[in-house]
Amino acid sequence: MTSRTKPALLLLALLLPPARAGAALQVVTTTEGLGALAREVGGAQVEVTTLSRGTQDPHFVDASPVLAVKLRSADLLVDQGLDLEVGWLPPLVTQSRNAEVQPGGRRRLTAASAVTVLDLPTGPVDRSRGDVHPAGNPHFLTDPRRAALVAQAIARRLAELDPAHAAAYAANAAAFSARLEAALSRWRAELAPFQGRKVLTQHRTLGYFLDWTGLVSAGELEPRPGTPPSPAHLARMVELARREGVKAVIVESYYDTRSGELASRLSGARLVVVPGDVGADPQARSYQAYVELLVRKVVDALRG
Amino acid sequence: MMWLLLAGAVAAGPGASGGGSQGAGAPADPEVQRQAEAEERRKLEEQVARELGAPPASGAVPSAPAPGAVAPGGDPYARLLLLPDISAIGRGALAWNRLDAGSLSPRQGPVAPAGKLQPIFQELEVGLQAVVDPYLRADVFLTFGPEGAAAEEAYVTTLGLPGGLQVKAGTLYAPFGRQNQQHPHVWDFVDGPLSQSRQVAAEGLKGPGLDVAWLAPLPWFAELHLAYQETTPAFEPGGRRTGTARLVQFFELTEGVTLGAGLSAARLDEGGGGWRDLFGGDLYLRVRPPRGRAYLTLQAELFARRLSAMADPALDGAKVGGYGQAFLRLSPFWGLGARWDTAPGQAAGLPGGPEQRGSAVAAWYPSEFSRLRLQLSYDRLPGGREGLEALLSLEFSLGAHGAHPF
Repeated sequence: MTSRTKPALLLLALLLPPARAGAALQVVTTTEGLGALAREVGGAQVEVTTLSRGTQDPHFVDASPVLAVKLRSADLLVDQGLDLEVGWLPPLVTQSRNAEVQPGGRRRLTAASAVTVLDLPTGPVDRSRGDVHPAGNPHFLTDPRRAALVAQAIARRLAELDPAHAAAYAANAAAFSARLEAALSRWRAELAPFQGRKVLTQHRTLGYFLDWTGLVSAGELEPRPGTPPSPAHLARMVELARREGVKAVIVESYYDTRSGELASRLSGARLVVVPGDVGADPQARSYQAYVELLVRKVVDALRG
Repeated sequence: MMWLLLAGAVAAGPGASGGGSQGAGAPADPEVQRQAEAEERRKLEEQVARELGAPPASGAVPSAPAPGAVAPGGDPYARLLLLPDISAIGRGALAWNRLDAGSLSPRQGPVAPAGKLQPIFQELEVGLQAVVDPYLRADVFLTFGPEGAAAEEAYVTTLGLPGGLQVKAGTLYAPFGRQNQQHPHVWDFVDGPLSQSRQVAAEGLKGPGLDVAWLAPLPWFAELHLAYQETTPAFEPGGRRTGTARLVQFFELTEGVTLGAGLSAARLDEGGGGWRDLFGGDLYLRVRPPRGRAYLTLQAELFARRLSAMADPALDGAKVGGYGQAFLRLSPFWGLGARWDTAPGQAAGLPGGPEQRGSAVAAWYPSEFSRLRLQLSYDRLPGGREGLEALLSLEFSLGAHGAHPF
């Protein structure tokens, strides 16, 4: 090799796409919940990277360019959609240079497309109603039924991208759904005595959880999504909690719990700090463990 | 021909079946008759399938679209889906200044006449942002200010060039330094640093041209920019052909701690053989614990400017300036910041030497879409004159404004 060809070859090597560590598909997910589902379905055939942590509020993740590097060689990007990640994912996708993970791309799966969506705003929508999600509530992974549908959608997309392992992906998704189905019966039995009970939540993050558990929201500590609880609003919520016999104030671990603590102390309802996602608690390492913990904490509070 | 055969088959089928059973003269057993009819239908379906060249009927017939999936006449509102993201961001301030900053300390930003409380409309930025086609996205930012309307930026960005390359083309901010590429509504402070206004460009170094960026295949973020544009430097009219190079890197030091470091250089053609060379170094540290919304940022930039072979030899020479700032977002609703800034004095008649400026800002965010800030600054001009400045700034954001880069 001459001294002239060496720099040219080096330049060529730098321009080539980065080498893959192994044959496994690189799956990048925006949240740890989606990451857990991708691991269940992909098994040993995928390597999963998540852009945010379960301890983080998924609305407010920093769009660090370091995350764009993770997207550059992604074989599949799975996002929640419904504008949950609108504040940070789009610039990362643009910076990634990966054309196929753009919205609608072959290597982009928006999980919301696999589920029916709750809390679609009706009538005129503007931000006097707070930081609303105009396309509906994006926190659907608190519902195991919808999580199973997302897992199946991931399996279908992985099968398209990697047909050689299509049967394995389908079998993994089916086995995961079956395990969730069995757990769901158990969880429902545990929750059966509390059907129709009213609870307070911080934000509308738990709409899907309430939908499948049969619990009912008495109200939210935030007067409108994304706005801080004012003293007057908190006082109204405390009155409401006393009047309606609310037993639990449920707040995700990524929120400041001061308002929840106050509402709990003044109303007599128990404050339940629940994991915001998979990975938010050492006990919530898998999707099933996350829902298990969510159910256990809520049931314990309602029993008390 | 095929249709004739089909019609014949349909006509002949039931007749043959009915004639057979009646001809036997025996009372028809309903069960036997049903089986016979089913057999006839099966044969007919096979024949139809053969004639059409379609596979034999097996499995479910594709169902008709669900009611509602296809509305009669289509969806009259579907065109709205093709609209780009439209946003408007307005900024205004109440300004008070002890000094006559307009003449003694020319700068970008809201400046009041000495000793007067002045309401100032700063800017309305209208954004139009969308993907153009599978290969390009476009971002257009129109700005309406006291001086009229202009395209602050209007460019396309490639989405899938090979080799880690990305090209922006249009009118855009030059890839020089950190704050130069940020729109004012992203800044933590109400105004830009003096040093950037004086050393780089009063309203930001920008103009028509293109910026080619290469993302190096490394485990961290390392991007090299080469740009060629026509730009207008600080406080001087007329465009200059400008070449800019920038290397910017971001590292995740530990969880929640990100460090960014950049080096920039630009050469502007001053005409008549003269050159304006700009050099910049920038550091950015962001500390954000994963839980909660609080964070701390530290940001510093150093700018050097060298003029050489200018038509007026008195202009030749080098000057240095820079700033350092810290901003603490205490909660979703409150933030505090401090900045120190030094830049060469600009006004005529002042003795040589740097102008120094210290600023403190308190920000209140009622929501993600509005903020109210109070900024107090203290200026010390070359020669020792001093003055306090107070700015109360209101900013609001409407519509869907695309998220900003880090």
